[in-house]
Amino acid sequence: MPPRDAVMVADAPARDPRAAGVPKIELVGASKTFYVRGQEVTALQPVDLTVGDQEFVALVGPSGCGKSTTLNLVAGLLRPSRGEVLYDGVPVTALNRRVGYITQKDTLLPWRTAAANIGVALELQSRAVPRAEAQERVAQLIDLVGLRGFENHYPAELSGGMRKRVALARTLIYEPECLLMDEPFGALDAQLKLLMQDQLQQLVHQRRMTVLFVTHDLGEAIALADRVIVFSARPGRIRAVRDVALPRPRDVFKMRFTEGFGRLHEELWDELKDEVAKGVDV
Amino acid sequence: MTRAAVSAETADGPTAGAAGLAESARAVLIGQVVVGVLFLGVWEVAGRQFGHDWTSLPSLIAVRLATWLIGDLWLHALTTATEMLVGLALGGSAGVVVGLVLGRSPVIATVLRPIIVALYSVPLITMAPLLILWFGLDLEPKIVLVTIVVFFLVFFNTFAGVAAIDGDLIASFQLLGGNRREEFQKVVAPASMVWILSGLKIALPYALAAATTGELLAARRGLGSLLAQAAHQFDMTGVYAALLVLMAMGILVSEVANRLERRLLRWRRAAA
Ligand SMILES: Nc1ncnc2c1ncn2[C@@H]1O[C@H](COP(=O)(O)OP(=O)(O)OP(=O)(O)O)[C@@H](O)[C@H]1O
Ligand SMILES: [Mg+2]
Repeated sequence: MPPRDAVMVADAPARDPRAAGVPKIELVGASKTFYVRGQEVTALQPVDLTVGDQEFVALVGPSGCGKSTTLNLVAGLLRPSRGEVLYDGVPVTALNRRVGYITQKDTLLPWRTAAANIGVALELQSRAVPRAEAQERVAQLIDLVGLRGFENHYPAELSGGMRKRVALARTLIYEPECLLMDEPFGALDAQLKLLMQDQLQQLVHQRRMTVLFVTHDLGEAIALADRVIVFSARPGRIRAVRDVALPRPRDVFKMRFTEGFGRLHEELWDELKDEVAKGVDV
Repeated sequence: MTRAAVSAETADGPTAGAAGLAESARAVLIGQVVVGVLFLGVWEVAGRQFGHDWTSLPSLIAVRLATWLIGDLWLHALTTATEMLVGLALGGSAGVVVGLVLGRSPVIATVLRPIIVALYSVPLITMAPLLILWFGLDLEPKIVLVTIVVFFLVFFNTFAGVAAIDGDLIASFQLLGGNRREEFQKVVAPASMVWILSGLKIALPYALAAATTGELLAARRGLGSLLAQAAHQFDMTGVYAALLVLMAMGILVSEVANRLERRLLRWRRAAA
């Protein structure tokens, strides 16, 4: 019997979600320039990027290259300086509430306990559910992100990784069709990170979500994504795009040791390392 | 498992320290009592020796306080407390509402700013005579005075609190689906709570001062009028007794405020 992993890599056809019609997210020549005390800071050079329905796309690139800016554009928190950002084929001109956004920065409400933070969306008119159901879903999500026993802790009483998981849970609870995730697992230890990746992968599959995922961790990008996009150093532009033709479901715990993974990792690292070096020079 | 163990351990830390703290707190308390008794003793002895027309005596004051306690002290205290509380409620809630709204509407705030600053530049206590002319001798002018004083203090604090809210907190809440009303209720108001409460705390002694000042000028009842009556008759014992009552009231008020604040800001303990 050949090793299972080898089979996985060999010949499963890559799924092509882009065949499914209108892309979920589309950036058309979108760029962003900030003005800081009269100085221009180009965060993003014109970028063309398409994320198909139910596709999982990972963005990697050196610090300051405009990854968070890209997500902010899709969420409607920023307007592009030039070009267009489309969601379901429609230009994003206001806050885009159809996406769930797990921001890089901590935006939990510090006066609410973990459970109350996770349930906050379900208290809102636009997403209201009966109280009993809300409680049940909060409990489910707490289990999902492994925070049982910490329901009544305030954010200041949680570790950085735990806060990230609360942020993840409070977004997942309202089941958005699309997730924007900005280094959601950056603060987790290696084992927990793998566990969370595995859960995310299952959940994304179950709920048929579209994901745009920012990470510093190339291995994480390959493990999770259908496609990995490498950004250049600031001002960011797309340097390389690689499809990850590894079959699903993937074994995030073991796939690192497969040949296909290793090859892709090496290829992408070659693209990334120059840019990282440039980023440091600046 | 390990996480739980770690957090249990850290939870032990403060308790162990607390025993030592209680120990030294008792020593401090004993010291304070000794100093207090010494002070009263010296006052009493010196007063009896050198005459006490201007300084009265602790024993006389104690007797007077006891007479008042059987008499109508409660009525006076209640009057002052009512003026304070009603003024705090009115001025406080108005200050919070106006502070929150202006804090979230920068344009209106910029327009109104000079007017507010000009109004606040009038030493507010000096409005007392005017208010007495307008509203008479009873509770109303004092309530209005307390309300105005409290309003400004709470307003300025609330306004500053809203300005200090992290914009990302609001943006991410909006993305979660919050509308404008929910944003006020669930983000802006609680985020400003620290500032609102500190404004109220600052306002408390001012509220007491405003109420008593009003009473000093013209009143039939209240601790301020008690003080004024005693002073007009050169009754030093009465003056000291009234001041003592005011002091007790001030301590009581700030103690209540501290407890309330600790309860409302539970979530901040960990952050501190
Ligand atoms: N609100 C802003 N005002 C001014 N400049 C900004 C703003 N947001 C981002 N920038 C600038 O834009 C550039 C890109 O920022 P961005 O946050 O998108 O980087 P990033 O790729 O997410 O970096 P990191 O990996 O460190 O999070 C940076 O140089 C930053 O200084
Ligand atoms: Mg970023």
